[in-house]
Amino acid sequence: MNFMDWITNLDRRWLYLLVGVFAIVPLIFPLGMPVNVSPAVQSLYDHVEGMNPGEIIMVSMDYGPSTGPENDPMACALIRHALSRDLRIVMLALYPIGGVNEGIQELQRCVGDLDPPNGVLESTKFPGKIYGKDFVYLGYKDGGLATMRQMNENIHEVFPSDYWQTPVTEYELSNEVQGYDDVNFAFSVATGIIGEWWANTVNAQFGLPVAVGCTAVSAPKYFAYYNAGQMFALLGGLKGAAEYERLVLDNYPQAKADTEEQVFYAAKGWDVQSVVYSIITIFIILGNVAYLLERRRTRMQL
Amino acid sequence: MHIFFAMAPLNTPDGFGIWVGAFFTLCILSFLYKDNPFFRFAESIFAGCSLGYYIGNTFSQTIVPNVLEPLVHDGHTPFISWGWWVLVIPIIIGVNLYTRYIPKIAWVARFSLAIYVGYYAALEMMLKLQGEVLPQSADTIISLVPRGTPMIDWFTSIVVMIGVLCVLVYFFFSAEHKGVLGGVSKVGVWFLMISFGAAFAYTIMGRISILIGRVVFLMGDWLGYGA
Amino acid sequence: MLKKKIPVLLCFLAGLLPIISFFFTSPGDGLREANDTLEQWLVVVSGFALLLGVISVFQVNLRKISNRSKGWVNAIYLLASLVIMGAFGLMDAFSEMPGWGWVGTSGNTGFNWIFDAIFQPLQSTMFSLLAFYVASAAFRAFRARNLEAGLLLAAAMVVMLGINPYVVKVLPFLPEWTRWIMNGPNAAAQRGIIIGAALGAASMTLRILLGIERSWLGLQEGE
Repeated sequence: MNFMDWITNLDRRWLYLLVGVFAIVPLIFPLGMPVNVSPAVQSLYDHVEGMNPGEIIMVSMDYGPSTGPENDPMACALIRHALSRDLRIVMLALYPIGGVNEGIQELQRCVGDLDPPNGVLESTKFPGKIYGKDFVYLGYKDGGLATMRQMNENIHEVFPSDYWQTPVTEYELSNEVQGYDDVNFAFSVATGIIGEWWANTVNAQFGLPVAVGCTAVSAPKYFAYYNAGQMFALLGGLKGAAEYERLVLDNYPQAKADTEEQVFYAAKGWDVQSVVYSIITIFIILGNVAYLLERRRTRMQL
Repeated sequence: MHIFFAMAPLNTPDGFGIWVGAFFTLCILSFLYKDNPFFRFAESIFAGCSLGYYIGNTFSQTIVPNVLEPLVHDGHTPFISWGWWVLVIPIIIGVNLYTRYIPKIAWVARFSLAIYVGYYAALEMMLKLQGEVLPQSADTIISLVPRGTPMIDWFTSIVVMIGVLCVLVYFFFSAEHKGVLGGVSKVGVWFLMISFGAAFAYTIMGRISILIGRVVFLMGDWLGYGA
Repeated sequence: MLKKKIPVLLCFLAGLLPIISFFFTSPGDGLREANDTLEQWLVVVSGFALLLGVISVFQVNLRKISNRSKGWVNAIYLLASLVIMGAFGLMDAFSEMPGWGWVGTSGNTGFNWIFDAIFQPLQSTMFSLLAFYVASAAFRAFRARNLEAGLLLAAAMVVMLGINPYVVKVLPFLPEWTRWIMNGPNAAAQRGIIIGAALGAASMTLRILLGIERSWLGLQEGE
């Protein structure tokens, strides 16, 4: 049996093992792979940089744990970027399977532990930033499209209370934000279709600028929306997350220190991604070489 | 080795949770070798937890804050005030959906379903036409002569225009794809293939990212490497 | 009449409201108000709709257990985890309601613990299996068998190599090529799919609202 026969008939579990091993090695020996920032990502960074202190960003957590490694770093980078620039954040979740938990997890990862019902309101990571004044978390709501449309009419009707069941009117920030007119733009951290709804409903019908951080699987479709100007920025998968994270980390030392404290962040994932990606690429090439050689051999036999 | 000293502690709720998480992670990964009872067990727990999560999430985030709490605390007069009816009617519509499980009156659920289906279908149509067909078509309409835009951008726009037209012809089923129509639709297939190739590359990237998340959990959170 | 025509009429009216209010109303109009109220209701109704499947799951699994059919033990695990997670969730949901003070924060603590320790690892690991399968599929099935498959492979390779930082070091022009594919041919095809699917969905909506398409009614034989 020659090498090509051997590789064609290889038990798939050896391939699984290889993928598994190469997903571990770069975590032990970090490589610090570079990321090239693409225009679709740069435009989110530039937009946030161009905002005036005090302006409000709406962050919608439209994903669950199944795509957390791609989406979490996007949400974190934006929250840190916004708070570093004294912008304010209204967070909510529209994804039914875990969106609300991802929201609270990432918010607390960025600002530190919170317990608003018991008076723990100040961020430990961003001293001086107060829950309800600088950032607020409205929690999750069912309804998808109906919820999105209602938020334009009156957010307080849809989200009468925040994540901790405190009436939204009790906090300065959530009291102030009544509809899309009160926010500068919406950032949907999305898996699947909800990110599209922000573009084809909220942007199209209410004119609110929308940026989306989507999973890599959705990215090819989202490029069509981005190209048509229905999204002003697009972060595609872990690569998009790593690009945006790089921009924020290079310019904000506090964000850099907090991010690098974490066990996982986009740049670290990008190292692993690059290695496993290379392995799979090599296998595709080997598979095709084997196929072409086999085809030539069959033709010659004929 | 420091790795074992840094493992998650078993005697705290969080630490114990990490051990449980690691156990279930390994149960699912064991399927890669072959199907086994550990995987089946974890799979059943996953299905059960998902539905349990739906119940808790829907009640704590929507039904209680948007309906039950205002009903109790807002002081509406039952049956008299409009505010009370505004809160009660969606409960009636919602609960009525469940009559489908009582065979004799299963058809009653159709009333609720009708409102649900009619509203969302209409909304879907509006967003598709206004939010997709119009802006996507508008962005495809471009000048055939490059005016003020860099040549490469103009060329890309022409490619996009040709691609959109060819793909639409491919999806046009009312006439047989023969002759010119056949040729154009073939070009549409080429565009689709290029797009699916790009999508496949991105899909690989997405799936690896999720795997990385699990590896980091096992290595970092559980074994304590780099934590 | 009651079983068929009224639901079709209700469906038509519920669909008409957002369409009319979208085109012909401004804030404060009666129709707009009516549409807003319907929208508020549907936020809640969607919650009930999401939970519809729970009853079928109970029915199917209880039947499995009582018949001792294949996998009945797993059905017990499924129902037990459903009940435990659901119970903690309900305790959390009702903790602020009158008469539920005894619950305190235990519902929230239990629900979040199960989410972090069990649900999150299970869901993400389930999806992570796809990394292995996609790698295997890429190796075994991704072959340039004809022109179409060749185009698919070529586009995938350019995008994969253009994203890969190792390759980009050697071939620095590749990210530009990748961007061009994504913004050019890829966007064109996706745009064609989006427009085609949108027109299809719109015509389906009209069929539903006008009562031509009635499969959603789940009509029984003889109705």
